[in-house]
Order: sequence, then structure tokens, then C-alpha cells
Amino acid sequence: MSYDMIAILMFSTMMVMLLTGQRVFGAIGFVAVVAALFLWGDRGGYDLGFSAAIKVMKWYPLLTLPMFIFMGYILSESKIADDLYRMFHVWMGGVSGGLAIGTIGLMVLISAMNGLSVAGMAIGATIALPELLKRNYDKRMVTGVIQAGSSLGILVPPSVVLVLYAMIARQPVGQLWLAGVLPGLMMAGMFILYIVIRCRITPSLGPALPPEERDVGLAEKLRLLRAGLLPLVIFFSMMVPFVNGWTSLVESSAIGAIAAFLAAVLKRRMTWQVFETSVRNTLGISCMFMWIILAALAFGAVFDGLGAVKAIDNLFTERMGLSPWAILILMQLSFILMGTFLDDTAMLVIVAPLYVPLVGELGFDLVWYGVLYTITCQIAYMTPPFGYNLFLMRAMAPPEIGIGDIYRSIIPFVLVMALALATVMVFPQVALWLPEQVYGK
Amino acid sequence: QTAIKWRFQTYAGAALGEQVTKPIIDYINSAANGELEIELFYADQIVPTGELFQALQRGTIDGVHSDDDSMASPTPLRQFGGYFPFATKHILDVPVLFNQYGLADIWREEYAKVGVAWLSAAGQDPCNFNTKKEITSVADLDGLKLYTFPTAGRFLAQFGVVPVNIPYEDAEVAVQTGELDGMAWSGITEDYTVGWADVTDYFLTNNISGAWIGSFFANQERWAELPDHLKQLVMAAIEAGHTYRNQWYWGGEARLRAKGEKLALRTVPAAEWAEVENAAKEFWNEVAEEGEIHQKIVSIFREYNDVINQAGPPYTFG
Amino acid sequence: MNLLRGYVRVIDRINRWIGRVVMFGIFVMMGILLWSTVSKVFFVPSLWTLEMAQFAMVAYFMLGGPYSIQMGSNVRMDLLYGEWSDRRKAQVDAFTVLFLIVYLVILLWGGWDSLMYSFQYGGERSSSVWRPYLWPIKSIMVLGIFLMLLQAISELCKDILRIRGDKIPREVV
Ligand SMILES: NC(=[NH2+])NCCC[C@H](N)C(=O)O
Ligand code: NA
Ligand code: NA
Repeated sequence: MSYDMIAILMFSTMMVMLLTGQRVFGAIGFVAVVAALFLWGDRGGYDLGFSAAIKVMKWYPLLTLPMFIFMGYILSESKIADDLYRMFHVWMGGVSGGLAIGTIGLMVLISAMNGLSVAGMAIGATIALPELLKRNYDKRMVTGVIQAGSSLGILVPPSVVLVLYAMIARQPVGQLWLAGVLPGLMMAGMFILYIVIRCRITPSLGPALPPEERDVGLAEKLRLLRAGLLPLVIFFSMMVPFVNGWTSLVESSAIGAIAAFLAAVLKRRMTWQVFETSVRNTLGISCMFMWIILAALAFGAVFDGLGAVKAIDNLFTERMGLSPWAILILMQLSFILMGTFLDDTAMLVIVAPLYVPLVGELGFDLVWYGVLYTITCQIAYMTPPFGYNLFLMRAMAPPEIGIGDIYRSIIPFVLVMALALATVMVFPQVALWLPEQVYGK
Repeated sequence: QTAIKWRFQTYAGAALGEQVTKPIIDYINSAANGELEIELFYADQIVPTGELFQALQRGTIDGVHSDDDSMASPTPLRQFGGYFPFATKHILDVPVLFNQYGLADIWREEYAKVGVAWLSAAGQDPCNFNTKKEITSVADLDGLKLYTFPTAGRFLAQFGVVPVNIPYEDAEVAVQTGELDGMAWSGITEDYTVGWADVTDYFLTNNISGAWIGSFFANQERWAELPDHLKQLVMAAIEAGHTYRNQWYWGGEARLRAKGEKLALRTVPAAEWAEVENAAKEFWNEVAEEGEIHQKIVSIFREYNDVINQAGPPYTFG
Repeated sequence: MNLLRGYVRVIDRINRWIGRVVMFGIFVMMGILLWSTVSKVFFVPSLWTLEMAQFAMVAYFMLGGPYSIQMGSNVRMDLLYGEWSDRRKAQVDAFTVLFLIVYLVILLWGGWDSLMYSFQYGGERSSSVWRPYLWPIKSIMVLGIFLMLLQAISELCKDILRIRGDKIPREVV
């Protein structure tokens, strides 16, 4: 059997296996080790699965993963975000659609304090969602807002996804993180714009709060603004030492986790139950990621061993003779397609060895490409059948929100994100300007 | 007749491997007329460096290009392959030590004991420093977190260097994430080739070793199965590769120091650097104590050093 | 059937207990990284912190893996799966978990070999200057994979029991 055939076989077997709904890491790992055994089993070959474990161990930036996950859980479990929510509630409630806009603002701040989107999802679904429904906001609008807003968690620094990308693409994390800032804010702005326009057209989607609900007096209003300070303190306690080179990336992630923890303690929110839930869930989610990465690295090694990378390079550039932009667009489309049914980590570990060198060779900037990849992941989180935010939303949504609502709720936001993706593609400066200012590249 | 297929992994990442390993593999593949096909993989691609030796013994990997030190060779030779402090001055010292002073026999024997065929060793670049912070005196080494070879790290620790051990391909990013202040790993050619010159600012012209010692290894059974004419071919290809590499480094070190624009050169005055050289003598004594083989190798280094010192420049730095 | 129930009870209890201890490992990692920061800013950077943190991370997710399976943290693609009845899920899972078991067996095989290697030649050591022996962490990794295998078998048992009509919750904390 030719290597190309084996590669195709591996890929399609994996897809079919995923469709059975088994644990993702089991399916990827199985295909990887069996293929290795089949190909190289005459001598060795069985050691590839475990070799991947050693690779995981040596991959030091992965240490940031449990730290950022922990941070996220502390923020959502200890309800230190409640005050933030109240702040937006009072300040934005008067506008039509204002609470939805406030929720996006909340998501941006949460994003600056953790590296994934789980925290945003949890906070959005537990704090914002019930309030918004109570105020007669349209349920689809609201579900979409929370899913889309929380996906900013991986684009606004710190970002675990960009750390993983940095490792695979060998690009500087600091620059990648900064590159995510403006696109993240821009996307948040586009979400807000969408909400404003939508509510202007159909005001019943997001009725303005009656004045008595938000009339709390100016002093109280100003006091509430202080809630916004906390995220900034946590964010800068982590980013300033890192960007200045005083602490390393993994050290900064630990500082962030500790800062979030202390904030919860100082605000007297750290009950045993909050503590236990955060610690336990951190283990659960970290294990989920790490086992997928473990399996995907073995898959990647075999795939690489087959020369699949070169074959695809060849196909794109020589046989099809595509222009760099055409190839780039194809890649993004394939990411979006894959993202509908693959985990973003699996997607990255499996495909990046193929795409990243090619993107480099075509003469594109790899920091910029990291941002494109991340936006694609955000889309992937929300598009059925496989998407973390989708899963979480389904797990956390109240009964009146059906699965059909959830699926439909994402459509306009996915379109907005695609627009953002296109904008960053056409104007790379949106991503690259800030890192250039800071690092003077 | 079906081709014999080998999987071969080199210590180098793709950019460097292109120069130091790939020419050999390409040569074999085209000259073997389809009888032997070698697939080349770069650093950590199939197996992480730490697991490389076992994989070679098992046959998951059939051939390896690496130094003994970074592949964690389970032999007493481990500390000597790589950059043994001040054991060499120039790239050609390595083949001379192996072929004229008896190191080749020692290497062949020791590896046979652990089931691996040692084929050949070659010199590569010297071990200089490239860093973000400026080094102008020995004291500046204090507190620097450097990516370096295990033995070099052990040696440099006495000057306050904090050696950091991570996968080769991660070193560049590690400078940017603050895990590293730079490298004590290579000459300037490699710094430019793999991109380290983009993330660090200074190059120290003083070195702690004049040439790297890297070897080619094969799984013992795999090597034994090879028909004689193919063995000859592999050896010839390796020699041809050595020649190519010698020139590539020799020319590169000069050109990039003279004309390169990414790294500013710095030098610790020779009289002060002698402190480091003297520490190496002490280090040799310690290592020689560790066993019979160690003793033997160190005495060969001493013998050769005497010879070149008597011969004077260009064998010494003048 | 009682044998299966007994196996599930014992294995789940052991793995749950281990998981609940290991989950506090997050603070071990934090502590190491914090010390790394403090020692760097105020004293001499430590030689061992990064590597030690890596060991802690691997122990954390390998030993914690089985408990994460119990909690149902491992994602599945639920395009079809999500719509199935619990019984249907159990039937399919009882079959597909075999793939997971095969994966874990091969992982264990490689791990065992690597562990044995780490005892040879006077003990394999890390290439860092700190040079820790590698057998302790490799033992933990192999143990973790082994426990994961036991847990996967327990999942299989549970699915068989579910097909036979036992009521077993799909996720526990
Ligand atoms: N690296 C990853 N695989 N990240 C996936 C994260 C999924 C989830 N939506 C989050 O961001 O929290
Ligand atoms: Na973030
Ligand atoms: Na998706």
C-alpha cells in the first residue's frame, strides 16, 4: 500500500470512529498506535505512543494549561464576576439590547483573565443567561451572544490556543498574544454592532430596562465601576512581568492563577465548595486536553513519518499550481470544515505540521497566521456537531432553550466571525500593528 | 528485488539538517539505485531525543546522526561526544583524534557492547555563546539561563550559568518566552541558519570547545544485514557529507562573523578567558577519575593537545 | 455479573481516591513555578524548577486520567451519539471502548519497555545538569496508564451491566 493511501486510510478511519461518539482521545490514539504497529511493527513501532508522552512532558508551555483553566474556574465558581455583571447591567441596561452589549463587555473582561473560553461560557450561562431571559431578551440572541462572546477567551490574551500554536509553529508567544488583542476587540465591536443593528430593527429582541431597575443613584453607579478594576489588576499582574521579561511564560501563568485565587479569597468568596469544584474541574478539563494532545502527538508522528506533509505540499503547490492566496483561503476553509467535527487541539496537532511550513514558504507572516487560526478555532467551538461552547451551552442552558435554538443562535455570530476573519486576512495590520509597536520587530 | 528501507533521525531541526545530514541521505538514496532507501526525519520528529537511543536499539529507528551527549548515550562516552570542554580547537581535530589517535576503536567497541553500530564521527562547529545580554567578561556569565549540552552545562555551572534542558526545536521560542537568555550551543553559522540570530543580540567569539563531535550510528542488526557494497556506499556517503559540512562551517563561521548583521560580536580578553580554559583542565581531571575508559580518552586528549601546542599556529590560536 | 459489579466498585473507588488526591497537584505546580519566580528575582535561578514542574504536570494528568473518565470529562463527538438513548449508548460504548483499551495496552507496552530501559546501564538520567533519575517519573507514568486501562475496563463492565439493566449513572464526581 502506498504511503498516501495509508495516510488517507488513517484519516478516514479516525473520522468514522469519531462518529461513533467514543472518547476523542481513544479514537485518535487507537488509529495512531495501530498504524505505527502496522507500519513499523516488524521492528519496534510499539513505542511511538509512549514516546508521545515524553514529548508532552518536555513541552513546557503546556504547564500554562492547568493554570489558565484553574483561573477560569476560580473566576466562574467564586462569582467574582457577579459584580462585573452588575456593573454592565446598571450602566448599559437603558439602551435597547444594552444587556446583550454589556454581556459582550463582560466576556471581553473575562477573556483578559483566562486562557480558554470555558470560564466565559460558565459565567455567561450561569449569571447572564437567566437575567437576560427574565428581562425578555430573545433566547436565541442571548445564547448566541454568550457562545460567541466567550470564544473571545482564546483570542484576547492570555490564550492557551495561541500557546499551543506558538509551540508548533515556533513563533513567539508574546507577539502572538499581542497580535490577538486588536482583532479580539474588533470582533467584540462587531458583535456589539450586530446587536445594536438587530435591536434597532426588532426592538423586542432586547427590550431596554425600565428606569427603576437601574436607578441606583450616581454614587452606587460609580462604586460599581470599581468592579472593572479587578480584571485589569489580574491581567496586568500577569502580563507586565511577562512582556518585560521578568518572568517566563509558565511562571506568569502561575502568577495569574494565584492572583485570581487571592482575589477570590479577599472577596470572601472562597468557600470549601467553590474551592473543591474548581480544583476538581481543573483536573477534569486538563486531563481531557492532555490526553487528546498525547494521542494527537502520536498520530502526528506517524502521519509525519508517512511523508503526508510533503505529499500535500506537493499537491497544493506543484500539481494544482495554486496561488499563495488561494492556498491560504483553502486552508482556512479546511480548518472551518474540520472544526465542525474535530477538537481544536487535535486539529492543530494533526494539521499544523502540514500547514505551518507551507504558509511560511508562501511568504506569509506566521504570527498573523496564528491569529487567523485562532479565529477559525472560535468558529469551530460553535459549529455543530462538535464544539466545546456548543456542548457547554447544551449542558447549561435552561429547558426552555432547545437544541434547535442553540444551533440556530450561532448563525449570525458565525457570519460576523467570518467577516472578522476576512478583515484580518485582508488587513494583516489589525493583528500585527500592536506586536510591532511593543517589540519593534 | 525489494528495497531495504531505513528510518533515520538526525539531532538537527529541518533548517540545519538540510546542511549537516540531508546531503548524505540524498547521496545514498540516489546512488543506491533503489536497493536502499533511507527516510530522513529531523529533531524529535518521530521519537523525542531522550528516547532516541532505545528506539535505535529496538529498531523503531534504524539510523541516527547525533552526538553522544544529547542523545543520552548509555556508555561512558556520553560526556565526550558533543562539546567536551576545550578538547578541540578546529573542525579537523575531530577526525584526527578518531582516526589517528584511536578514538574510533574505543567508540566502535563501546557501542558494540550496547547493541549499536557506530559508523563514523565528524567535527562540526565550535561552541560559542549567543545571548540577549552582552557578555564582556567571565563574570557576565553569572546567572545566565542558557540552552547548552549536558556536559557543557555541568562545566559552565561553576561560572554561575544556569543550564536549561528543553527540546532543540523549542529553544528559539524559549528565548522569547523568557525561559532562556540565550545559548551556548554552536558557532555563528548555526545561529543564523536556525533563526537564533533573530532572537538574540550578541555573539561571543570566545568558545568553550573548538568543534562538536557528532557521530553516525545504526541499529546493529540492520547494519549487519546490509550487503557489503551498500555498507561501502553508506560509508562513502558519510565521508562525502563530512567534506561538504567541513566547508560549509569553515566558510560560514568566517563570513558571518565578518559580514553578518544580526549579531554584534563581543570578546572576553584572552588573558581573562584563560580562567575558563584552566577550569577545563580541572574538569578533565575530574572526568578522568570516573573510569578506565574516561581515563583513556582524557589521556588521548592530553596527548593530542601537547602535539598541537608544540606545533603552534594554525593548530593553536597563536 | 456480581463479579463485574465488584470489579467496578473496587477500581472506581481506587481511581477516584487517587484522582482526588492528585487534583491538588495543581498547587504543587503552582508552588514550584512560584518558587522559580521568587528564586529568579531575588536569588539565583533554580536549576530544577522547570523540569520538576514538568514531572508534576505529567503525574497530574496521567494519574488523574481515570478520575476524569469517571467524571465524564473526556469529550466525544456527539453528532449522532447525543441523540441516542442511554441503552443505545451503552451498546455502542461497550464496543468502542475496546479501541480505547487497545490504545492503552500498546501505550503501556511502550511505557513498560521505556521504564525497563531506565533501570539499565546504571540508571537512565535526564540530560539536564540537575540530572534526576528518570525511573521515578516513568514509573508514575506507567502506573497512570495502567490505572487508565483498569478504568477503561471498568467502563466496559459498566456498559455491559447497563445493557443487562443495571442503573448506573454515566458521570459521577
Ligand atoms: N486548547 C484547546 N483544545 N482548547 C479548547 C478549549 C475549548 C473551550 N471552548 C475553551 O476555550 O475553553
Ligand atoms: Na484570554
Ligand atoms: Na465545531
